[in-house]
Amino acid sequence: MKKVLVACGGAVATSTVAAGKIKGLLKENNIEADVQQCRVSELASKADSADLIVTTAKVERDYGVPVIHGIAYISGMGIDKTNQEILDNLK
Amino acid sequence: MAVIEYILDLGPTVMLPLVILVLGLLLRQGIGKSLRAGIMVGVGFVGVNLVIGLLTDNLGPAAQDMAERFDLGLSVVDIGWPGASPMAWASSIGTIAIPVAVLVNIAMLVLKMTRVVNVDIWNIWHMTFTGAIVHIATGSFWLGIVGVIIHSAFVYKLGDWFAPVTQKHFGLEGIAIPHGSGTWSAPFAVVIDSILDRIPKIKKLNFNSEKIEERFGVVGEPVVIGAFLGLVIGFLAGYPLSDILPLAIQMGAVMVLMPTVVKFIMEGLVPIADAARGILDKRFQGKEYYIGLDPALLLGNSQVVAASLIFVPLTILIAVIFPGNEILPFGDLATIGFFISMAVGIHHANLFRTLISGTFIMVITIWIANMTIGFHTKLAENAGTIDGGQVASLDQGGSPITFILTELLQPQNIIPLIIIGGLYVFSVIFTYLKFKRGKMYDEEKTTGVESE
Repeated sequence: MKKVLVACGGAVATSTVAAGKIKGLLKENNIEADVQQCRVSELASKADSADLIVTTAKVERDYGVPVIHGIAYISGMGIDKTNQEILDNLK
Repeated sequence: MAVIEYILDLGPTVMLPLVILVLGLLLRQGIGKSLRAGIMVGVGFVGVNLVIGLLTDNLGPAAQDMAERFDLGLSVVDIGWPGASPMAWASSIGTIAIPVAVLVNIAMLVLKMTRVVNVDIWNIWHMTFTGAIVHIATGSFWLGIVGVIIHSAFVYKLGDWFAPVTQKHFGLEGIAIPHGSGTWSAPFAVVIDSILDRIPKIKKLNFNSEKIEERFGVVGEPVVIGAFLGLVIGFLAGYPLSDILPLAIQMGAVMVLMPTVVKFIMEGLVPIADAARGILDKRFQGKEYYIGLDPALLLGNSQVVAASLIFVPLTILIAVIFPGNEILPFGDLATIGFFISMAVGIHHANLFRTLISGTFIMVITIWIANMTIGFHTKLAENAGTIDGGQVASLDQGGSPITFILTELLQPQNIIPLIIIGGLYVFSVIFTYLKFKRGKMYDEEKTTGVESE
């Protein structure tokens, strides 16, 4: 099973919104994945076990795992494109 | 009337879920979705109360022992924004704060007083907090609502003013950050930046921040910060090792569990947030608007990360040195970057300047947070979170917006009000004038060469 980390500043607000949308997206597309939330500051130690990272914050660091900027889930602009990026990465 | 009183008596863990259920139905989110959302909010409250209990029952007494042994203050635990926000939502102001803040936004958009379309419903808790504290201080519910209105109107304006920084420095096109803690501190940074620009030699000073994240990344992880603080405070409290080690693990646990439980409140708010966004999007779309979002967006920026790592020990140091300080920083340390995130952009990522203005910001924050302990504790008691001891928070308990409004309506600390109020009002006017002249973010500006 694939593992997706969804990160924001405090792992409370924006990552909850994004994680909810991503879970819905994966369910619709019959992709089984474990979607977990964390803080950006925890990514470095959690990235190893993940297949994909989605962050609402713009991160510049290389975690050795694909990172997708998930701001679309918060702003509402360009969700389709981000959805597609995530699906492409998990297929 | 008896029905309303009966419901009010059930407490916030039942009250807000009911409000969310009704609000969900009014916004046509369907009975299933609305019911689930309401229950989720209740689950969040229950979880938060458990984790705050873990924090205050264990760290509280240890902090007091430490304070007594070393004649330090530091006996009131900072529960952080993850602890303060649920209390704001649980207040009576919290039940109607979302519609109030959204209506203020719509009114300002219609009157062309702002370009910010705030879809960040979660952070309405900051405005709610101000309203709830004003309510407690004055005893007037309606003055509390006025507090929500003033606070929200003010942060939408802050969103407008700092949009050039958000866009040009952080590269977030079309986005503004109208926020109670990420942005309130920014006017101070604007003034300090201008002062530093005028001092020869100093104006060229900068630090290299490249290696900070690489070297200290793991130490800066919240679970490690929590465990380490538990260890140190247990030791300073004179506990035996058999009590120190469990305290360390418990405090690591608080850092990990806190967002895990608070996020349920957000989960419950999602249907409301979606509906509010739908309403706003339909009417206010296009290039002349900014989408108002959470400052969490800035916390991935490597310069913000570097500064955040430095401000964890620095904030504790300020708390230790600050004369008469009673607050032990804890809950806000995990996301201390919120306080200085916008400042990083204002200083063009000059770490030296961020250290100067950030230190100033944290001093003001800690000073104010000390004066709001009484109201904050009452807010926590009303929410049913604690039934003894005291609590504080840096984010929002230490915000000048909340403090100035409360003190103006119910003066208790006249001299601090004059000093902090004077400094803040000056900084805000200075910021506004800079924005008006189109000088908020000059892309050509460089602030000195980076030295090793």
